[in-house]
Amino acid sequence: MRVLCVDPDVDEGRATASAIGDADIDVTVCGTLGEAREALDGAVDGIVTEYDLPDGTGLELVEAARDVVPDVTCVLFTDADFDELETTALGPAVVEYVDKESPGARDELVDLLTFSIDNRSQTSYPLPPDEEARLAAIEQYVVDPDALDTSLDRLTTVAAALFDVDAATVGFVEAHRERFLACHGTDVDSLDREDTVCTYTILDDEVMVIPDTREDPRFDTNDSLAAADIRFYAGAPVQTDDGEAIGAFCLFDAEPRSFGTEDRELLSTLADEVMANLELRRRLRAATAEERDGDD
Amino acid sequence: MATTEYRFEGLPLDPVRGGTSILVAGPAHGGTKELAYRMLAGDDAEGVIILTTNATAADIAAECETVGIEATPDRVGIVDCLDSDESGVPARVLTVSSAQDLTGIGMRYSTLYREFHQEGVEAVRTGLFSISTVLSLTELQTVSRFVHTLVGRVSKVDGLGVFLVDPAMHDERELRTISQFCDGRIDVREGPELRSQGFLGGAAEWVPFDPLPE
Repeated sequence: MRVLCVDPDVDEGRATASAIGDADIDVTVCGTLGEAREALDGAVDGIVTEYDLPDGTGLELVEAARDVVPDVTCVLFTDADFDELETTALGPAVVEYVDKESPGARDELVDLLTFSIDNRSQTSYPLPPDEEARLAAIEQYVVDPDALDTSLDRLTTVAAALFDVDAATVGFVEAHRERFLACHGTDVDSLDREDTVCTYTILDDEVMVIPDTREDPRFDTNDSLAAADIRFYAGAPVQTDDGEAIGAFCLFDAEPRSFGTEDRELLSTLADEVMANLELRRRLRAATAEERDGDD
Repeated sequence: MATTEYRFEGLPLDPVRGGTSILVAGPAHGGTKELAYRMLAGDDAEGVIILTTNATAADIAAECETVGIEATPDRVGIVDCLDSDESGVPARVLTVSSAQDLTGIGMRYSTLYREFHQEGVEAVRTGLFSISTVLSLTELQTVSRFVHTLVGRVSKVDGLGVFLVDPAMHDERELRTISQFCDGRIDVREGPELRSQGFLGGAAEWVPFDPLPE
């Protein structure tokens, strides 16, 4: 874990950094907004900042940090009174807050910081109701990804032609990322879970359609989609018999478009076909293992 | 830490463990708000913090009284976003100048919670009334982050979170995005009736409830 600790008062900054360091967190201490901006990179997990900095405010730093790491944990650690804080203009910053002058402030800060960083991945995107069972199901079904490649690739080729879209994929949504096992018309290995639309597709039993990603507030700022030139998305969850959505069969296109009831049903059928394929392989593995055990 | 449990006296809802946040979704009129208030009414040792976006602190204090929450400074805290005159309100009140100032609301919430905690109030029920107002003023991504932060706080301190929303004001996409961050959702409809869909021990059917305590 790496945290930026920003305080114009050198002694205060050191004391705070020392308290954070005691919790086994790497700390970079900065005295100004400029220094903090310099130190900002994708590896920063948290920001602890005073409000009033010589060259700006802590909330400006929060905004800059979220551009680099969207779900970075931000704590305003300040002795400023509420009246001194111009939060109205920066209301969207939404930060955690610890009053520097309260008793035990640094303990509270470290406690809140570690809790927030630990829970960050769980709150940066929604999880299905029984995430643990879902992850267990993935382990059970997706054992030999390489062997799956060919048969799934054929299905994505058929899908792209059938729906007349740029690309079709089959991906499995693992704990922190989506791994794509088959791609037609695109070549992507994996995406962070907060960046992939399939994170939302697996929440529902039904096919999810986004006619235009730029018109959807969940995705209109998603750089991965913009970079991949994706405007249209349709995804059907790949579900086990127990109802665990382990992945999604998806279609993408560079143009916004609609997707009717019949299309949705067809896409669901393809997702079911993937699941049937996985189920057969699982049974085959079980039967082979049984046979082998019998031979021993 | 001993597990805190929150009971809902007189309501057809099972107790929940500390750290639970619940979305209460229903029409603005017709019992939804009353249900949310009743869910905040616990025993006298518990604290209540209400974040209000569309009512004054005075109105909130009055609503509290109707469901049996005695509005006193050592028991009830209110963050008022209408910047109304809070003199004479029998509760601890902090004001913010706008419901768009989510940062300011969150900071005042932290302050109220810390004060209660320091005074020995261990169990705190938090109400956000309402998400709909916040969503009408601020984009979904920011509101999601705000709700995350509140839900995180509630979870960390073993509190109870009750978030009020009027589904008619939002599309399903907004509702789903927000509700995913809560541990469960209770729907309310005219009658008034509630449905908690397997959550809180509730049945999948609609069950009537009393908007006011006996």
